[in-house]
Amino acid sequence: MDAIVVNNLTKHFRKAYDKTLKGFLISLVKREKRYKEFTALNGVSFSVKQGESFAIIGGNGAGKSTLFKVLSGIIRPDSGDVQINGKVAPLIELGAGLNRDLTGAENIRLNCAIFGLNKERIQEVYPKIVEFSELEDFIHTPVKFYSSGMKARLGFSIAIHIDADIILIDEVLAVGDKDFKKKCYAKMEELKNAGKTLVIVSHSLSPLRRICDQGLILDKGQVVDIGDIHTILDKYEQEYDKRKKRKKKLKQKA
Amino acid sequence: MLAEMMKYKELLYFLVHKEIRVKYRNSFFGFFWSLLEPLGLMVIYTVVFSYILGIDGRGGITIERYPLFILSGLIPWTFFNNAIRGGTRALSSNASLIKKVYFPREIFPTTILLSNLVNFFPAFGLVIAAALAVGHTIHWDMLLLLPFFILVQSAFTMACVLLVSILNVYYRDVEFISNLLLRAWMYLCPIIYPIQFVMQNDNELVRQLADLYLLNPMAVIISLYHSIFYGHNHVIGAGWILYTIAVTIVFFFISWGIFRRLNHRVGEVI
Repeated sequence: MDAIVVNNLTKHFRKAYDKTLKGFLISLVKREKRYKEFTALNGVSFSVKQGESFAIIGGNGAGKSTLFKVLSGIIRPDSGDVQINGKVAPLIELGAGLNRDLTGAENIRLNCAIFGLNKERIQEVYPKIVEFSELEDFIHTPVKFYSSGMKARLGFSIAIHIDADIILIDEVLAVGDKDFKKKCYAKMEELKNAGKTLVIVSHSLSPLRRICDQGLILDKGQVVDIGDIHTILDKYEQEYDKRKKRKKKLKQKA
Repeated sequence: MLAEMMKYKELLYFLVHKEIRVKYRNSFFGFFWSLLEPLGLMVIYTVVFSYILGIDGRGGITIERYPLFILSGLIPWTFFNNAIRGGTRALSSNASLIKKVYFPREIFPTTILLSNLVNFFPAFGLVIAAALAVGHTIHWDMLLLLPFFILVQSAFTMACVLLVSILNVYYRDVEFISNLLLRAWMYLCPIIYPIQFVMQNDNELVRQLADLYLLNPMAVIISLYHSIFYGHNHVIGAGWILYTIAVTIVFFFISWGIFRRLNHRVGEVI
């Protein structure tokens, strides 16, 4: 069965959205268009099988984060449809939804509650999360005093313990020290073996080879290629090298 | 909505608890502020409107026990006022959470309503205590209707909170506009003056417009609280009560519809 099916997904953003009533009224009187449209995703289709690990690769501004937000339900697509079979746990930018003023312990409770865990279940997983994050000494400190590595640890620990079927991971492994990274990769492989579906958005490529089965290259909101992770990564690296060389040449000419 | 809320009751409990704790953090009296605030306002309004302006003996209409009168109207108003003030920022102040994870966004306005409701209940004890202290006999049989009045007011407040919370994400002006409107709205409710001031006004124009006065659901609701805690100074007709209920229901579904419609883009504009 497919865990995620995305069909012909398109998303436009409104640029220069004027956030005041004044701006709205002025443009209403002038009868001008209130915004410029910008296409972040254009006809994106792919599917991820259950228990598969899927990588989404692309440069800055390729639409990775938008796709990610659509998958986690934060942003609604303009057209096309997204089918998700199972509970999704997104893990975005150094720990999803960590509230800065709350302590680590409170954040664990808050995030578990957001994902619909009941009281008993929260009490059950709480010690596991603390143990995995290795933050026992700082768990009652507000998250705003955490380093980015600590936030990433806490975020990752929460996301893997909330009984999700599909885990979305966005660049979180760029931070955190070597040992913790190793632990995360081991845990991800463990989750994969347990039949969970992983979707990883990244541009650090080498770890993807170990974890992922399939990959997708995104460029300017469009799917360039989908396929086996190794072929995809080789292709991406070649393309990347070419671009680098071209840029160098241009620089030298100038 | 109710079924969905039940699914997230743990989250709701957490957020309400947090809201209340954050509100009284670093304050010496803590939760007692929910009582001290209306008491302080009662003293201010009594000094200004009763002693200085002499409002309670005007036009042959005397208001006995003016402080009790003020308090019994002020407490439901404070609930309404604080819920809307908090409601304008319910979504916009939680931007970091909304941008990162998805869960029903109705949770935030609901949190504001519930946390203000929690503050509201002890204040009722205060009114009852004040009524007994000044030797007023409370209509205990009317007290049975109190939960019903609170329900109507909560539903009406929720409708307002849903609307301002979502609009404020798109246009931050809403916060300023609603604060100003709340001030005007308060003076259009029988809080500092009794409703007879409008119904039996010397000015003919005011008397003619008196019927329109009760079109304001909050005016009806506040008068209902008066009838319990202060006495039957002006009995509100059953017709007006039914009207208020009808307006509340219609308004609730309209603002919920607007909320759901505008919710689509919240993830990107916030």
